[in-house]
Amino acid sequence: MKSIWENYKTDAAYDELMYSESQPRPVSHRLCQYLNTLKKTDFDQRKMAAELAIMEMGITFTVYSDEGNIDRAWPFDIIPRIIDIKEWQKIEQGLKQRLTALNCFISDVYANQEFIKAGKIPSETINSSKNFRPECVGMKPKHSVWANICGSDLVRDKDGVMYVLEDNLRVPSGVSYMLENRVITKRVFPELLQDINILPIDDYPTQLQDMLSSLAPHPVGKPQIVVLTPGIYNSAYFEHAYLAQQMGAQLVEGSDLVVKEDDCVYMKTIEGLEKIDVIYRRIDDDFLDPEVFRADSTLGVRGLMRAWKAGNVALANAPGAGVADDKVVYAYVPEMIRYFLNEEPILPNVPTYLCSISEDMEYVLDNLAKLVVKPANESGGYGMLVGPHATAKEVAAFRKIIQENPRNYIGQPTLAISTAPTLCKGKLEPRHIDLRPFILQGENTFVTAGGLTRVALKKGSLVVNSSQGGGSKDTWIINMEEN
Amino acid sequence: MLSRSAERLYWLARYMERTENTAKLVSVHMNLLMDLPKDVEMGWQQLISINGQSSSFSDHTKLANERNVTRFLLADTSHSGSLISSLNAARENIRTTRELLPDEAWQQVNEMYLFAKSNLDSLTNRSSRVQFLNEILKGCQGYNGLLSSYMSHHHPYRFIRLGKNIERADMTSRILDLASLLLSESRSANLRQYETLLWMNILSSLNALLMYRQHVRSRIDGDDVLNFLLLDKKLPRSIGCCLIEIYDCINELPNHDSLPSKTAELQAYVDAIDTHQTTQLQLRMILDELQNQLNELHQQIVSNWFLKITPQ
Repeated sequence: MKSIWENYKTDAAYDELMYSESQPRPVSHRLCQYLNTLKKTDFDQRKMAAELAIMEMGITFTVYSDEGNIDRAWPFDIIPRIIDIKEWQKIEQGLKQRLTALNCFISDVYANQEFIKAGKIPSETINSSKNFRPECVGMKPKHSVWANICGSDLVRDKDGVMYVLEDNLRVPSGVSYMLENRVITKRVFPELLQDINILPIDDYPTQLQDMLSSLAPHPVGKPQIVVLTPGIYNSAYFEHAYLAQQMGAQLVEGSDLVVKEDDCVYMKTIEGLEKIDVIYRRIDDDFLDPEVFRADSTLGVRGLMRAWKAGNVALANAPGAGVADDKVVYAYVPEMIRYFLNEEPILPNVPTYLCSISEDMEYVLDNLAKLVVKPANESGGYGMLVGPHATAKEVAAFRKIIQENPRNYIGQPTLAISTAPTLCKGKLEPRHIDLRPFILQGENTFVTAGGLTRVALKKGSLVVNSSQGGGSKDTWIINMEEN
Repeated sequence: MLSRSAERLYWLARYMERTENTAKLVSVHMNLLMDLPKDVEMGWQQLISINGQSSSFSDHTKLANERNVTRFLLADTSHSGSLISSLNAARENIRTTRELLPDEAWQQVNEMYLFAKSNLDSLTNRSSRVQFLNEILKGCQGYNGLLSSYMSHHHPYRFIRLGKNIERADMTSRILDLASLLLSESRSANLRQYETLLWMNILSSLNALLMYRQHVRSRIDGDDVLNFLLLDKKLPRSIGCCLIEIYDCINELPNHDSLPSKTAELQAYVDAIDTHQTTQLQLRMILDELQNQLNELHQQIVSNWFLKITPQ
């Protein structure tokens, strides 16, 4: 019988689990030992068991298409991705440092703008940011934290170094899939999980609840917390419902809430109106309040900004926090860490060329075929150019788009992002992956043990987004010393 | 508790109850017809008239035979009263209220739906239909069991109980409609011959045969059956018992307004029904009035707790 590892090639990029076809890295030694005891049919069976579990648990995401919205089962690869706890502890420190600096920066943007005055970032960059909200100037959210929930995307390059690719500070999603992936793995490989020392992840909902409670504007016994969802047609609706359920919070839609003359937010219940203290909102700023932002929004709540500014309700993340979720502002994060914290960044940025700077733009235009070019404010992997994978025609078209709106584009070298063994048609093949850990900041700061590993299931593809053919893996942080 | 959630849970319960009732009804009817000669005026057509779906059925199909009727009642996705449509509606409602229910409840309903959906094609075959109905009934029992043993008996649970019992009372009244055939003066000699069997069938449709035997302890008699299914206060599917449940839920919910007294009126109406020597016409009038009043109660629940928020 042929090995499941047959022709496993690790030379194109850093492989998270394998040195080579036959040699596992120390972290994956036990896993590989175990996988080698399985027959090919076992893999098929486990994969089917996972798929069945996903169907039954109803873990879905919604894909927007011309024929309406379709609920798809969450694509999951049963082979976990593993990180040694020693490396992880450093990453965790780096993520805490980063979010702390980002929150200092956002506070500063909406207050005295010392960072701009010190010449660390052009004021133009801030003022032209789509997510800078002049309405928020002068606000002081509790604990001076604007971005309470952050999902940072990490990738490992060929040199083995873990880089931060972006920080999602608006309404990052994926954490429910991280939690469900572990539940599935426990069902698929029960014998394996028993004898490897993996850090647990299931305290996230509790941590989220604690963090949200710490934001309550007034001291009350138990603050009334709600999760505000755009509704059932949103791609992350599953997650909104999941998190509300896990926290025992109410899941509300805009039409369930009302702001009264006293500038307080109430929800419409069977007992009448009930006051809300904290809103974990999963609606973008633009749609939050038709009184202040988009007037045509039917998802939000009229008067919500009034209530927030009056200090009667906490919003997480705070409106305006997205100013730091901009790929141009991203380039300045290392400088923020130095300026606000007086520390050196623990986690490096990917080198970034800003098309708003003329030398940088020239470099980008000259090297389009080598670079990845991204719009500053999109998410979900939309509207980007992956130079090495694009046709000459696509490159030419993109050149024009950049020249029309340089502020909106950045270029980065195409990283050979790391791979991990992934089950493809009964064989293990390397597929590119990234990692999205989730960081919570309120009174305290918390980082998930690991995060959501996303995998580009298509051979050679670097795009891991679920809307574009990506899947996910369970992520294990393991303690080798106690094993 | 959000008004919107209350509304969805209420409908979830109604659709789940409808799913179970439909499965049970078809399953019992299949058993019955295996025993009856072909010329008795109790065929597949009756199942359609029970649910007031005759016109909708004849739009679809002409011949009321076993194959067409069971397909219509179980598998027809274009028919809103079919089992698969009810289950789908239940699933949509539970999907949007997951945060209020035990995890297992969503999984249970989701699994049932996936199972039903993938087996719709096999239902023309009688033995796979039997198996299918058994699975669905088991699923409903599991769902009911885990709600009653895992869920706190707070407002969300009360709305579920409320929806369930309104639906249940409605279904019981419709099955009793079927019984009115047995009271017809002009019924055939053939039908009279199988009367006991048919009364038993009605009891079985409501899972009440065994309870009836323990309660009445004599041979099966039409008057007694009617009395039992309308007035008994202990049988879960009797109208009287459903009304007690409805009253309890309403009374424990906030802002119940005039609903408790309205329910009490309905209870008094039912208590006053004399099932002795009832004619077919009398029974039909009683049942029509009952269904109207249940519908009024439903409307009042809607306007009291739901309507101002979002349409269903």
